[in-house]
Amino acid sequence: MINLASLNSSDVIVFTLAGMLIIILLFGFIMYFLFTYRHKQRDFNLLQIQKDEIGTQKQLLEKTLIDLKSAQAQLIQSEKLASLGQLTAGIAHEIQNPLNFVNNFSEVNKELIDEMQVAIDTGNISDIKAISNDIKENQEKINQHGKRADAIVKGMLQHSRTSTGVYEPTDINALADEFLRLAYHGLRAKDKSFNVIMKTDFDKSIGKVNIIPQDIGRVFLNLITNAFYAVSSAPSTSKSPKGDLPYVPTVSITTKLIKSPLGDLGAKRSTGTETVEISIRDNGSGIPKDILDKIFQPFFTTKPTGQGTGLGLSLSYDIIKAHGGELKVETKEGEYAEFIITLPV
Amino acid sequence: MNFDFYDIFYYSCLLISAAIGLACLNKVERGFKWLAILMVLTVVSELIAKYLVYGLEKQDNNIVYHFFTPVEYAFYVIIFLQFLEDKKWHWRLWLSAIALFLFEILNTMYIQPLNVTSTNVIIAESVLLVFLSLVLFLKIRETPSQRILLREGVFWFNSAVLCYYAFSILVWGFHNMKVYNLDNAPQIIYDINMILSGLLYLSFSIAIVFNALSKPLMRNTHD
Repeated sequence: MINLASLNSSDVIVFTLAGMLIIILLFGFIMYFLFTYRHKQRDFNLLQIQKDEIGTQKQLLEKTLIDLKSAQAQLIQSEKLASLGQLTAGIAHEIQNPLNFVNNFSEVNKELIDEMQVAIDTGNISDIKAISNDIKENQEKINQHGKRADAIVKGMLQHSRTSTGVYEPTDINALADEFLRLAYHGLRAKDKSFNVIMKTDFDKSIGKVNIIPQDIGRVFLNLITNAFYAVSSAPSTSKSPKGDLPYVPTVSITTKLIKSPLGDLGAKRSTGTETVEISIRDNGSGIPKDILDKIFQPFFTTKPTGQGTGLGLSLSYDIIKAHGGELKVETKEGEYAEFIITLPV
Repeated sequence: MNFDFYDIFYYSCLLISAAIGLACLNKVERGFKWLAILMVLTVVSELIAKYLVYGLEKQDNNIVYHFFTPVEYAFYVIIFLQFLEDKKWHWRLWLSAIALFLFEILNTMYIQPLNVTSTNVIIAESVLLVFLSLVLFLKIRETPSQRILLREGVFWFNSAVLCYYAFSILVWGFHNMKVYNLDNAPQIIYDINMILSGLLYLSFSIAIVFNALSKPLMRNTHD
C-alpha cells in the first residue's frame, strides 16, 4: 500500500512535519471554536430562557391589563351610578313641581267643567265662553308642565345611558343650568339644612357647542357637587373675602366665549379660533397646595371613606381632554376654588 | 483499469456520499441540496476523467480539472452564501468566483496549460475556501443554536472544508515546489490526498444526514 522506501526521503519528513503542524493548528482551532461556542451557546440558552420568561410575563401583564380595563369600566359604571344617585333626589324634586302644577290645574279644570255644566243648563253663553277659555289656559299650563316633566325624565335617561360618543350641538348654558339645579335639589333632598347662594352668569353669545352632552353633563354634575360639598363643609367661622361679613356659601357658574388666537386649544378638531370657558367657583375652604397636583389622579379623594369614589375629577379631566379641551383649577386656601373648563367651539 | 487501495477508497467514499446526498435531497436545507448536487457533479467529472484515460486513451485527464475547479468553487460559493445568510457577502463571493475563473484562464494560457494539472488554481481555490470556512465558523459562533454542535450539519461541512482545503494547500504547494525544482513529489502525498478527499466526501454525507434528521434550526439571529 505505502511505498515504505519513499518514507525515508527528506521530502516526506518535511511534508509530514508540515502536515502535523497543520493538524495541530486545525485541532487547536476547532477546540478553541468548540470552547467559545459552548460559552456563546450557554449565553444564548440563558437568553432564550429569559426571552421565554419575558414572554410569559408579557402574557400575564396583558391579562392583567385586560382585567384592569374591565375593572376600570366597572368603576366608571359605578361612578355613573353614584352620580345618578346624586341626581335622583334632584330629579324627584324637579318632577314634583310640574306634577303639582298638573294636579292643581287638573283639579281646577274639574271644578270649571262642573261650573260650565251649570252654565250650559242655565243657557248662559257668556259664562260658558269665559269658563272654556279658563279651561283652555289651564290645559295649556298642564301641557307645558307635562313637557317639563318629560324633559327632566329624558335628561335623566340620557345621563344614565352609556355615552354614545356622538358629538351634538348643545346649549352649554342650558346644560350647566340644568345640572346646577339638579345637583342643588339632590343635595337639598338629603340635607334640608343645606343652603347655598347660586349665581349664574351665562354668556348668551355662545350658542350651541359641539359636545357629547352626557359626558359634559357628567363633568358639570361632578364639579358642582364638589363645589356644594366644599361650601357645605367649610368651617362656619369662615369669612367672606372681605373678612367683615358673615360667611355666605356661594357657588357660581360663569360661561364666556373667548376669541383666542390661532393655534390655541382644540385646534385638532376645530377649525375656528373660539373657545368656551365655563368656570365653576365656590367660596369654600379651597384646595390645600400639597394635594393640588393629586386631585385629578384616579381614586384620590378627601371625602371620608364611602362618600366618594375618587374618580369624579379624574373622569372629568379625561372627558374634557377627549373633547380637546382643558380642565384647570385655581384656588386660594381658605377663600375659594375655581374649576375652569375650556372647550373648543 | 488500474485501481489501487487509495482509488478504491476515494471512489467508494465519493459514490456512497453522492448516493446519500441524492437520497436526502428533499429532506435537507437548500445549502445541503447544492452540496449533494456538487458531489454528483464530482462523480460525473471523475467519470469523465476516467473515460478520457481509459475510454479515449488520452495521455492525461488534466483538462477535466481545469474546468471542474472553477465550477466546483462556484458551487461552494452558492453553498456558503446559503449558510452565511448575509447579503453583504453576495458580491464578495461572486467576485472571488469570477476572479478564480479569470485566474484559471490566465493560468492555462501562461503557466499551466491544459495538459498540466492546474495546481495554482487548486491552491487559490483552497485558500479562498479556508478563508470562507473561517468566516462561517465565526458566523456559527455568533449565532449559536440550542442543539449540540456536533450534531449540526453545517459544523461537519465546515470542519471538513477547513481541514481538507488546509491540507490541499500543503499537498499542492508541496507538489508545486517539487515541480518548480524539476523534481517529482513522493507518491505518498497524492495517496494522502486521495484519503483526505474520500474523508471530505464522507464528512459531507454525515453533514447531509445530520441536516436531514434535524428539525429547522432556531438560531439567535440578533433580530
